[in-house]
This record gives sequence, C-alpha cells and structure tokens, in this order.
Amino acid sequence: MPRHKLASLLCLACGWFCCGGLRAQDMDHLQIHGFATQGFLFSTKNNYLTMKSSSGSLQWTEGAINLNDSVSDKMRVGIQLHMYQMGQIGGPNVLVDWVSADYKVNDKLGFRAGKIKIPMGLFNDSQDVDSLFLWTLLPQANYPDDNRDFDLAALGGELYGSLDLERRGRLQYRGFAGESRLDANGGYVLSLAEYGLTFPTPPSGKVFGGDLRWAAAWPGLTFGASAQSQALDGSGPQGTVHLAPFFMTAYYGEWSKGKWYVAAEYWRVPTTTQLYFGTDGIWLPVDQRSWYPMVSYRLTEKLQIGTYYSHSVNKAADTSLPENHSKDWAISGRYNFNANLYGKIEGHFLHGTEVGYHNGRNPDGLKPNTALLAARIGFTF
Amino acid sequence: MKHIRVRMAFLGLSVVLLAARVQAQDVMIVANKDIAVSQISSAELRDIFTGARSRFSDGSRAVPVVLKGGPTHEVFLNHYVKDNPNEFRIRWRKAIFTGQGSMPKEFNSEAELLQYVAATHGAIGYASRVDDTTAVKVLVIVK
Repeated sequence: MPRHKLASLLCLACGWFCCGGLRAQDMDHLQIHGFATQGFLFSTKNNYLTMKSSSGSLQWTEGAINLNDSVSDKMRVGIQLHMYQMGQIGGPNVLVDWVSADYKVNDKLGFRAGKIKIPMGLFNDSQDVDSLFLWTLLPQANYPDDNRDFDLAALGGELYGSLDLERRGRLQYRGFAGESRLDANGGYVLSLAEYGLTFPTPPSGKVFGGDLRWAAAWPGLTFGASAQSQALDGSGPQGTVHLAPFFMTAYYGEWSKGKWYVAAEYWRVPTTTQLYFGTDGIWLPVDQRSWYPMVSYRLTEKLQIGTYYSHSVNKAADTSLPENHSKDWAISGRYNFNANLYGKIEGHFLHGTEVGYHNGRNPDGLKPNTALLAARIGFTF
Repeated sequence: MKHIRVRMAFLGLSVVLLAARVQAQDVMIVANKDIAVSQISSAELRDIFTGARSRFSDGSRAVPVVLKGGPTHEVFLNHYVKDNPNEFRIRWRKAIFTGQGSMPKEFNSEAELLQYVAATHGAIGYASRVDDTTAVKVLVIVK
C-alpha cells in the first residue's frame, strides 16, 4: 500500500476513534488504542534535535494506532503503526512500530515473534510513548529522540517470563535476538549523510540481548540490568559503514511510593564506527558512559513536577571538549486535563554538545551551552 | 430559622459524604464461580491487577476486570494494587503500547462488572456490594 494512503487511513482511524467517545474501542477481545502529540521546542543558541529550535519550532508531531486481540487464552496478536516528524527526521510515512504474535505458556515462559520492542534500561521499549512520562524529553544521552529508530525495535523473537519469589518479590526476564534496521528518514542516516554517505537500502545489523529485573516485595521498588550486542553494516555509492558487534550495558533502579517517584540509570556504550570511502577510512571510536538520577512528585491528582540531571561523557576522547560531554539539568511539569488529554512543559540547561545536535542544522558551529524550553500536548486513548 | 436551615444543610451534606465514603473493608473481591480457589493473597491480587501474573494459584487463567472510576475503584487500587487511578492507567498503557499486554476490561457500573464476572471464566473484579452471592464467588483475602 502506498505510504500516503496508509497515512490517510491512519488519520481517518484517529478521527473516527476521537469522535467516537474519546476512549478505546473494545469489541470483545479486540482492543484499539492510540495517541497523538504535538511538541514545541525553543533554544537560546544551538538548534536541537534537527529542529530550527533557536527560532522556536513546532515541527514535532507524533501519532500511533494500536490494535491487539487475544485470540485464545495463551495467544495474543497485535500491531502498532507509528508516525513521527521531528525537524529533519521522520516525516509523513507511517511505520510499523511493532507487530507480533505472543504465545504465553504460563507466567514463567512466553514467546513473541515479529517486529518486537527491545528492552534496554528502564524506558527503551516505551520511550516513544509520550503519555507514559512526566518528562517532555527523556535523558537524551540514554534515550536519544533523534536516533531512536535503530534502538527501539528488532525483527526477531523474544523469550520472556517471570518467577514468583514469594516473600522476596518477583524476578522478570526477557531475552531476544533479531535484526534491526536504520530508518531511512532517521537520525543515524542523517548523521551518516553529513559524512557524505548515502544508502539505497538502510544499513542493518544483528542484535541480541536481554533484561533482568527484580521487583522487590516492597511494592514500587525495582532493580535491573540490561545488556545487548549490536552490529551494523551498509553500503552505498560513496562508500560503506561498518560497526563491529559491540556490547552495551545498563544498570537501573526505580522506586515509587505515594506521590514520589525516584529512578536512576547507568549506561555504557563502547563502539567504533568505521566509514570507508574507497580505500580511505574514518574511524570514530566512542566509549560513552552516561547516568542520570530523576525525581518527581505529584502535587495534586492532575499536576506532577520533577527534575533530573543527565550526565554523559565520551571516554574515548578528550572529555573536556564540549563535543565529548553532555550535562543536562531538566525541570519539568505535567498537567492531566482528564484521563486522555495532557500538557507538559520543561526547561533544560545544556552544557556540552555530545548528544542531540546535527551539523546540518548548525552550519555555523555549536556554542558549548544552550538553554531549552520544551512543551508538548498529547491525547491518548 | 436561618440557623436551623444551615444546620440541616450541614447534616444532610455529612450524611451524603458518609454514605459515599468507601473503605477498604467495604470492597469485596469477586471472581467467576468456576475457579477452584476460594482465597487469594494480597500479593497475588496485586500481581494479577498489575499484569505481573496471569494465572491463579491453581493454574487457571485470571482475567482482571475493573470499574472505569468512582470511590470503589480508587479504594481498590489504593489498598490492593498500591496505585492511584493515573498510575494504574499508565502501567497498562505501557503494556499496550509496547506490545506486552491488553488493558483489563472496564465497566461503568458494579452491576455490569458483576454480570461480566458471573458469565466469564477466570474473571476477577471487585464491588462494594454483592446482592446475589450465587452468581459470583467472593474471595477471601489472606496475607
């Protein structure tokens, strides 16, 4: 089906469901859900996330439609179509965010196959679902909005389950393997184009990994660790890109009690991207170490506030240079108008330019520090 | 005369507020008659309504159902699930939008919920009042 027709169908479906009672339709086992968001970004200096944010940009729209059906006691199938536009990336194309068949033998063992979301850290598999978060922008060193296409999902299979430890809580585990492919309109492809490499078929690579988390008997307390190996290869008329398999790790914890929520993560991502133009090659070594603590408080039933500090350095280079570090203080607020409609506003104080910037949007170079205002309004059902 | 009217108004308001107040002990956990278990632990109940567990202790499938809102819904979530309605909604939306689950079926009234529980194998829900105890099973909560 041509992409513009699919986009029209998605818009029609959105409109129909929005007019039909502002809630998910549930026809026995079939459930239909969705969301749509509109964002705004203003920065004092550099342009952020491929938007012309220094002039104020509304070029940040996102939407999804989700269908899932329990076809039997143990089997569930589902699909999520997703569309996003963020500055120079994304576009009107509708992509399959995930599509899977899920067979759950029992609570200890289940299997899903198709295009599946990748678990990594606390939020990787849910980072594109804005309505779940207080934050307008998640810590970008861990969950980069401009590069999430490659990190988010893989074509493959996953084993999952959980063990009841009784008085010691519950142990949840997921292991997956497959192939992930860059989005032709995504941030990684844009970055490679800035080096002069274009690809008729987006680069892809094998990925496998897992996530282990312990939900303590004390409700709301969780600790976990994730690891994954990823590779990438692609070739185009100007040359090739090669990313040898690398191993990334994440350790995390979260705690929620009453009106409070606290979380923290530490990630390590060591990679060396190799770009070849004929016999000439460029090696781009990165050893990214990133971490953040975040805290939020629910002031009223509808109003929530919070803050986080996100810190990232590239240990493979001189970390004192702005391009090799990123420090981000964020202060955030969210107001739920009702169960379906919400608004968010967030201030950022960014030091360093390691994450979130693209040279094409900043042709005159980057200033080391930027303040940022981000706002988003969303509807979900 | 004016003072009497004001007192009467306060008295009326107090009666309405007391009647509307639902406490944890007023919420009954109900399940389909066909399930083999007659009691459930609070941890098991929480796991079923957070999606961490999909089966009862006898191995049969558990189908959690909820009310769309109201004091019984809020008291049940606060006391047994340890969530407020917003956290509960976000928890399930996360499962839905990441392909890991389906939202529990929601009902406008306790009567509709009880009717569904009575007719659906494995269904488990809650209500502040159960008139017909032959239609559904009221589960005992154990620590």
